[in-house]
Parts: sequence; structure tokens; C-alpha cells
Amino acid sequence: MEQGIIALAAALAIGLSAIATGIAQRGIGSAGVGAIAEKPELLGSVIILVAIPETLVILGFAVAAIILMG
Amino acid sequence: MISKMARIEIIGLKENLQDTVRELHELGTMQIDDIRTLTNVYMQPINLPYEMVQVREKVELVNAKINGLEDLFKKYFVTPPTDIADTSSFTLIDSKVEQVTTTVQQLTQQKTNLQDELISLSKYREILKVMVPLLPDSARKSGNATIGALLHTTQTRSMNMLINQLRAMTQGKFEMVTVKIGESTNALIGVLPRDLVVSVENYLEREKITQLVLPDEYTMLSSSEAQDKIEKKIENDHKELDAIDDRFRELASIWGPYLHSWQINCLNIMDEFEIYSRIGETEHTFTIYGWIKSDEFDSLSQLLHEKVSVDIMVNFLEIPTELREKVPVVLENPKIIKPFENLTKMRAIPAYFDIDPSKLIAIFMPIFFGMMLGDIGYGAILLVLTFFLSKKVTKGIFADLIKTVFYGSIWAIIFGFLFGEFLGTLGGAIGLKPILLDRSDPDSTMTLLYMTIGVGVFHIVLGLLIGLGNAIKHHDKTHILERGGMLLGLAGLLLLVGKLLHIVPDGFTTPSYILLVGGIGLLGASYGKTGVILGPIEFVGLLGNILSYLRIAALGLASVFLARVANEMVGMIGNVVVGILVAVLIHSLNLVMGAFSPTIQSLRLQYVEFFRRFYEGGSNAFMPFKKRALVQE
Repeated sequence: MEQGIIALAAALAIGLSAIATGIAQRGIGSAGVGAIAEKPELLGSVIILVAIPETLVILGFAVAAIILMG
Repeated sequence: MISKMARIEIIGLKENLQDTVRELHELGTMQIDDIRTLTNVYMQPINLPYEMVQVREKVELVNAKINGLEDLFKKYFVTPPTDIADTSSFTLIDSKVEQVTTTVQQLTQQKTNLQDELISLSKYREILKVMVPLLPDSARKSGNATIGALLHTTQTRSMNMLINQLRAMTQGKFEMVTVKIGESTNALIGVLPRDLVVSVENYLEREKITQLVLPDEYTMLSSSEAQDKIEKKIENDHKELDAIDDRFRELASIWGPYLHSWQINCLNIMDEFEIYSRIGETEHTFTIYGWIKSDEFDSLSQLLHEKVSVDIMVNFLEIPTELREKVPVVLENPKIIKPFENLTKMRAIPAYFDIDPSKLIAIFMPIFFGMMLGDIGYGAILLVLTFFLSKKVTKGIFADLIKTVFYGSIWAIIFGFLFGEFLGTLGGAIGLKPILLDRSDPDSTMTLLYMTIGVGVFHIVLGLLIGLGNAIKHHDKTHILERGGMLLGLAGLLLLVGKLLHIVPDGFTTPSYILLVGGIGLLGASYGKTGVILGPIEFVGLLGNILSYLRIAALGLASVFLARVANEMVGMIGNVVVGILVAVLIHSLNLVMGAFSPTIQSLRLQYVEFFRRFYEGGSNAFMPFKKRALVQE
């Protein structure tokens, strides 16, 4: 039982943060592609902007790892 | 590496201006500033004399003609032409362009005429197609002619009156059919002796009845004769069109290869005219301001004295304060670093007083890639693939990324040995043992996480040290406080973590707190009054940046577990062949992900986490006034 709850907690930590990252990237990605279509030289900036929300899921991963290993 | 630049001015007599501009253009080592954008320079830009304006307009016209020819010939190239460099004078190019353009215009006119004729003939053919089967036999007799009239479907009474009238006019030698054309039009087709055609047509014209009129050459023929003639004419027109297209193809193959170099010749002349507007003038002299690489100053000065006049003055200038941010930048790196230099430029061209981070990216990006992928099998496959791909794709951002993956693959093989991985968990099966840690072992996960955080701390501290060094060099107090504060705060925090892990003795507790609080204080001080709030926020942001390096572990774990799933599938499915197929599929997916994700993520770690600590960027690339290449690379 306890193990199940731990696993669920870890799953929620990574799952919810992944959803949050996805939602953030959806908006940034579509706007970014539009921007690149107009100005291809913005590719570098757009990569950064799209990659920024990924920190959320990385932190979720860290929390999940701590829950499972800790 | 950022090349050392010099700001120079060139002063000379106006009679030497054209020669000076020509030599500068030929040498192609100087970027010329626009005099109109310079502050503290009180000179008007050069006004071109009328004769030069006329020449410029002529060149622009010829260039427009070449563009037109290029657009036209594109349709007729069987394969894109291999450019031939034509070094003829402009006058000669102009006469060649004129000759080709005249021929093209004549052919185009002929083609247009034929196409218009074909459209009309097609319409007549359609009408005749409907008419001919309905015509009485008399229409096919020689000596008879056909006339046609169009009436609205509601005008039934008028049509009857018209038929009666025509019968009367022809004394009964009139046969006719009516046929519906379209939704609301009736066509009346009559056959009558040829000698009565004129009087009947006059009658129809008087009564304002719309006639079905064929071109003159068909009017005196019967409908079936006209139909035959039209068919033949259409066939001939198509043949003529084909002949014209062949002629265009021939012209394209003869002149197409020269178009690019002619165009470049024109653009080079136009560039020279454009540059005059950037040069300042007084009554008798001209002055050019601009930039040159320091080591090319002597050769420029010597060349102008030798080829133009000894009176030309070429002077070094101090870089004015207002232009410090606008110094054009030239990056010079070895060939192996070039792909990473382009990745740096993709973020932003370094400012002149920045450090060029290309070499640092060249070191860390492949290492991070290798740490994430960390597999001998995947690394070897990617190494071979990218080796061959780099031969095919030689230009553009994709070529740079392919080379990045190539170097990353070498590191992936090295880390593959350290992690004991060959296509995931197959390493053990072939006797491979992990040297550093086994990523597929859950007991090693925390070690992997600590390792990646350690990598993050090292990378960010390196960035901060570079940034601090640069700030000290340029006496930039704000950045000294910001970066120094971050370094001190981080040192304090690391000591506290060390104490918690019992690595650091208890005696370091108070100095750790002092360093942490002092560091955040200095960081806050760099933001001025809002520093009380922004200082701690920025410090937490710095910790977030360090934790961001956990992605190295996260991607690595995802890769190794997906590979493990692929390997275990073989045994789980029951059928070995199907199992192997599924495993190959999953491994392929993992390989594709293994090529893309680590590239993007390691690039992000450079751009977001690393660059932020020392890199400003945003300068302009050095754009020397030089001749364009006559042949495309």
C-alpha cells in the first residue's frame, strides 16, 4: 500500500509537471514557428524560448527521483 | 576568437574618389560607415553627378532585364545550369543582354499571338462541334455557306419572324437548324448560297442580331470545311509553340550559365554607386570612415598609396564611446570549431568586448551530448551516419548540427564504456562492465543525479568566472557585483551542503552563512534599489539553472530504459523473429530520439544556463565592402 502511494506520488510529480511543460510549450512553439517563418534568424532565440519550460519537467523528475529513492 | 578591429578614416582629393572606391571594393577588407549615421561628423554625403546617376540607372535597367531572363529561363532548364564566370566589361554584358532580350521578346510575342489564336480557335471548334452534326447535307456542298445568329431563348417570336424573313430574302434557298447553346441562348444556323451571304449579314446587322462570326478566312467556307481547317490550324499552332519552346530551351542552355555572373557584375557596380552616399565630402576632399581588421591596416594604406595617390591619408582613430557597442565583429576560429561558431551566431553575434564562446561550446556541447546518450552501440551508429551525412549536407544550420552530433557521438562511445552500455543493457551480455556507474541500476540513480548536478555547478561556476574576469577587465562594476555575488553565494551554499553531507568540518558553518548572505547581498546591490527583492530571486534562479543540468541524467535514463524495454521484448513476445523486429523498431526510435533530444538539450544548456553568466552578444557582423563572387559556391 505504502509503496503504491509512493509510486503514485512520483507519477504525479513527473506527470503533472510534464503536462504543465506541454501546455507552456504549445503556446511558445506555435508562436515561435510563426516568428521563424517571418524572420528565420530568430531560430536561436526560439529554441531557447521553447526549451525554457522544460525545466519544469526536469524539476518534476528530480522530485520524483527523490520520492522514489529517498 | 574575436579579431582585433581598427577604426580608420581615409581622406583624399575628390579627383581620387572613384579610384579609391574602386580599389577599396577590389581589396574588400574595409567596412564603410554611413556618414549620415555618425554623430560628431559634420559633412554632407556625396551627391552623384548627373552622368553617374545615368550610368546607375542604366545598370539597374540591365539588372532588371537579367532578372527577367532568369525568371523566364528557369522554366526551360532541364537541370540547373553550372555558372560560368563572365569577366567581360559592363558594356559588353549590356550588348549581350540586349541581344538575348530582343530575341526573347520576339519569341514571347509570337508565343502570345499563337496562344491567343489557339484560345479563339478552340472556342470556334467547340461551337462547330455542336453545329456540324446538326447541319443539313446542303451545308457540305461547295458553293454553299453557313451563317449563324444568336437569340435569347425568350425571343421565340422574333426567331420565327427572322426565319420567315431569311426564307423570303433567299427565295426559299435557305435551310436551317436551331440549337440551344448554354442556359439561355438559341443559335440559329442557316445554310444558303454563298453569293447571298453578304446581303443576309447586312440584314442581321441592321436588325441588331448577334452573329456567330468566324474569322475572315473561315467565313466563306461551309461549316464542315471550316471545322477541318480549324483542326489543322490548331495542330500547326501547337507545332509552332513547341518550336518556340525548343528555341527558348536552346537560349536557356546557351545563356543561362552566364546570367548569374552578369547579375553579379551589375550588383557590384550598383554596390559602388551605393557606397558613394556613405562618403562625406567638402568642396575639394572626401572622407571615408569605417572599420578594418587591425592586421590589414598596413596593406590597405600601402595599396591606396601605390594604386591611387600618395596624397591619400589613411589614419587610425580611437574608437569613440558612442561606437563601442557598434564595433563590427569578425570571429576567427579553426575549421573544427566553425560549426560551433555558427551555433554561437545563431544565439547572437558576440559583442566586440565579449569573450567568443565558440571554443567553450565546442568542448562542452559534445560532452553533454555524450553524457546523455552514453551508449557504444548508438554512438557508433550515429558516428557512421553523421560521417556520411556531413559529406552530403555541407551548408547551413543542419550541416552544423550534423557535425555537432558527429563529435557528440565520439563522446557517446566514451561514456558508453564508462556506463557499460551497448544498445542499452546488451553491454553485460557481451562482457562489458560499467567503469563509472550502471545507469540501468536503480541504486546508481542518485549517484547519477549528483554527478549531473556537479557538472552543472562546474559549468555555471566556469561561466561566472569568465564573466567576472571580463567584467573586471572592462571595469564594469554592475557585472562585478552580480557575478562576484553569485560566486560567493554559491560557494557558501556548497559549503553548507558539504556540512550537511559531513564532508566539510563544522567550523565552516559560520563562514558558509557569511558567504551565502554576503553573496546574495552583493548580487542584490548590482540591481540597485530593487536588489532587496531581485537579489534573492536571482540567486534562486541560479540554483534552478544548476538543477536544470539534471536533464542530462533524465534523458540518459529515458534512453537506457527504452533500450532495456527493446531488449526484453525479444524474450517476452515468444516469437524470436517478431521479438527482434519489435526490438529493432524500438531501438531505431530510441536512436532517432537519441540524436535529436540530446542535441537540443545540450544546446539549451549552453544558451540558457551557461551563456547567461558571461555573454552579452548582439553586435553586428563585419560586412566589408567587397566584390561579390561571380559564381555561386
